[in-house]
Amino acid sequence: MSGNAADTASRRIVDVTADCGISLVASLPDGWITSLITHYSRDARFKHVAVNREESAIGLCSGAFFSGLGTFALMGASGFLTCIYAITKINYTYQIPLLIGITLRGRPGDRAKFHQSNGLYLQSVIQAIDIPLVTIEKADDIPRIGTAYNHSRTMSRPVVVGLTREVLRGEA
Amino acid sequence: MNFEACFRFLAERLKDEIIVTSAGNSSELWWDITHETERVFYLEASMSLASVFAAGIALGTERTVVAFNGDGAFCMNPGMLLVERQLALPNLKHFVISNRVYGSTNDLGHPFGELMDYAGIAKACGIERIYDFATLEGLAQGLDDMIKAPGYAFAVLRVDPLGRHLPSPPLDGPEVKFRFGRYLERTGGRPVFDAPLHPK
Repeated sequence: MSGNAADTASRRIVDVTADCGISLVASLPDGWITSLITHYSRDARFKHVAVNREESAIGLCSGAFFSGLGTFALMGASGFLTCIYAITKINYTYQIPLLIGITLRGRPGDRAKFHQSNGLYLQSVIQAIDIPLVTIEKADDIPRIGTAYNHSRTMSRPVVVGLTREVLRGEA
Repeated sequence: MNFEACFRFLAERLKDEIIVTSAGNSSELWWDITHETERVFYLEASMSLASVFAAGIALGTERTVVAFNGDGAFCMNPGMLLVERQLALPNLKHFVISNRVYGSTNDLGHPFGELMDYAGIAKACGIERIYDFATLEGLAQGLDDMIKAPGYAFAVLRVDPLGRHLPSPPLDGPEVKFRFGRYLERTGGRPVFDAPLHPK
């Protein structure tokens, strides 16, 4: 992996989220998104909040909808799976839009054994609760993050963008 | 202190603040006393997220935002205090209602209710302004300082179990959302929704 390539990919993602009106990012790390989180934390266009657990990102960003801020909850796939209650109770009950960024862990090529359960069940869980999933498979897909954000606001529900390892490493 | 007397006092004194209530008793009792439908977000079934939800609201306004969590909710996610300390929002005030029961489920006993020192946890998290109200008189003396003085503040409300079941606010989620959001817009907040209700 080239650090410069990962930096370039992170900068593109950060720029796209800024351009679509996001100014609050709440995150918990995953090894694949440390560069991305670092970029958000250093970029004056954003208020970045490092939360204690992924559900807090859902809560904080959902409340911030009422402050008129565009928000982005950024987390790993495993953390996302801990958020099903918060998403279905808060965002579905009250119809609060939210853009959630996750890593697409457990795909072929991910050598972490403890993430293989995500490969098996992540997309099935996403489908089970009817959250639209927009996958970012290559650099040219990154602008779709803005489309996903706008779609979330249009449908008044969360939308998930799934980031692949290759995109985050600047290899696709 | 008596739970209902405590909330009646708070409802009488907190007239200008934005209110976020949590699952169970805090939503039910605030609704029962006030029947307010605009400046209150009844975040029922919030499972510990009421105060971070309130923090999100507080990020975009200079108005004071008051959040209520139950002690059951608090024990699910005490790390919320670390986020709130980090944010250090001058307009966020967080109450934990310690009634030592799960009020929304027929006052079933809280297994940790007698063990917990919520103010001590807050202190250990580095929070500076902490209040611990065990009596109505103490609450009357300390409330203005907690609410009016700028700075994030955390308080414990030691109350007796309510001892009766109250109905939930009769509002569906989208109605809460639109009443609350339009209220914020109308009273000087930033636009919440993509389209204004009354275009200029």
